[in-house]
Amino acid sequence: MTALSRPVELVCPAGTPAALRAAIDAGADSVYLGFRDETNARNFPGLNFNREELAAGVDYAHGHGAKVLLAINTFPRAGQPEAWHKAVDDAARLKVDAIIVADLGLCDYAARKHPDLRLHLSVQASASSAEAIRFYHRAFNIRRAVLPRVLTVQEIAALCADVPIEMEVFIFGGLCVMAEGRCALSSYATGKSPNMNGACSPASHVRYIEKGDKVESQLGGFTINTFGAGEPAGYPTLCKGRFETNGRLSYLFEEPTSLNTFAILPDLIAAGVTAFKIEGRQRGRAYVANVVTAFRQTVDAIGRGEAPPVFDLDGITEGGRQTAGAYERNWR
Amino acid sequence: MPNPPAERSRPVDPPFSPILLAGLALAPVPPRLLQPLFDAALNVVRRRHPDILDRLSDYPDAVIGIEPVDLPFVLLFEPRPDRPVLTVLRDFSGVRLSAVVRGPLAMLFALGEGRLDGDAAFFSRQLVIEGDTEVILALRNAVDGAGIDLEADFRATLGPIARPLIEAARVGGHLFRRLSRDMSLIRQALIGPALKSADAQSARINDLERDVAAMRRSLRAREQRS
Repeated sequence: MTALSRPVELVCPAGTPAALRAAIDAGADSVYLGFRDETNARNFPGLNFNREELAAGVDYAHGHGAKVLLAINTFPRAGQPEAWHKAVDDAARLKVDAIIVADLGLCDYAARKHPDLRLHLSVQASASSAEAIRFYHRAFNIRRAVLPRVLTVQEIAALCADVPIEMEVFIFGGLCVMAEGRCALSSYATGKSPNMNGACSPASHVRYIEKGDKVESQLGGFTINTFGAGEPAGYPTLCKGRFETNGRLSYLFEEPTSLNTFAILPDLIAAGVTAFKIEGRQRGRAYVANVVTAFRQTVDAIGRGEAPPVFDLDGITEGGRQTAGAYERNWR
Repeated sequence: MPNPPAERSRPVDPPFSPILLAGLALAPVPPRLLQPLFDAALNVVRRRHPDILDRLSDYPDAVIGIEPVDLPFVLLFEPRPDRPVLTVLRDFSGVRLSAVVRGPLAMLFALGEGRLDGDAAFFSRQLVIEGDTEVILALRNAVDGAGIDLEADFRATLGPIARPLIEAARVGGHLFRRLSRDMSLIRQALIGPALKSADAQSARINDLERDVAAMRRSLRAREQRS
């Protein structure tokens, strides 16, 4: 293998201050996080940062040469954008390195009110074409786009060659296979929108019911899956539910599985990707430390032109399974 | 919310470990004698990790059951902001729980210290949660986010006497690991042959299931053609 001419940024999740420190200590170039409210797409109970914690987190990150990216990536309620505007204002005041936004109105607000604040386009914007990405860049000076997890490596390479801004792709973690920012499956089952309230399959509507050796997962009263004795369990997201259709029990959209791109990282680098994102702000600091360490060493080895070390992350994946997802589209 | 069963169910098998033996030895001890230990632990949490209660402030009326499946008692945690309570009980009889988390003691400690990812423990079915998932998730995130380091908490709480106690704990930890290895060996010797037989049966069942699935596919295809 030959050494890389440019480093790739490792963007890592931080759901709490402890996870932020774990990510940075394990070698994150950047951490991404959110405020403790519905302005971000991981609005989970007990998770996220208040303003004081964010200020301390920025200090810690900058003191270690890392960046902080603040996700303000849900869509404001009609006529009530105040909480989202305040989040943008506070992000600028607290000197985060960039904010990650999806809503057009919020892009406009941030670009006009804080022209020096760097803007990244969230995966929630679901921008997957060169035309869409160029529009966001032209209209709001978006500097980086986080690509949806529905593109092949070849499609990503074509995009990178065709747009004037940085591309960030997911390399590990939870796998959303839907049109992100537009999916209403969880809203249908729970009455709460992932895109506005900030939680897909909110815990308030999740139940796990032990039935002998089996465990049944429910979302909003709907049975999403039943895991047999010893079978690895998963989150009760509708897109990863096991349903009976035409007399057959099967996963209609996607199985409980996690994205893992160890094998294709060199291809993604060659495609022109600027930053690798690890999913999992809702996971614990043990997950963060393990995954960031693994990818730090892998990316560094690839950067030096060496064979990357082998890591087994099976134990922390959803359903105990891993996939390269749409990047390879093995199912075609 | 549908109340989790108050009676003591054991959906997680207790591991054959020194903790299980210690639990058997502790069985005759009335829980109230252990209560001062848990009062002290909660005081340390309040003093050293106030952010835990802050992150749980949306759930002031929650009653969270914590069941170490290898010990003969359970814990109740009520995160009331003004007066949180951690109570040790024999079981959950008569208690109206918001939610309950069950797992081996060593796993619960590892989760508390952030050495283990709660989702991973749940995916692998070693950790069981029932009841209000939101409350359990908030507790997990609050505890994980606090960055608890038990040794540091010991040092800060016990002052000059911490050092000999921590040294004693290290020796105890060494003995514990040694005993765990020995017990694992005994377990293997006792149930190894039975496990081999079960594995062989499982492989045969898998083969049969594949055959049945293939026959069903073939039958469906034949039905569609006719």
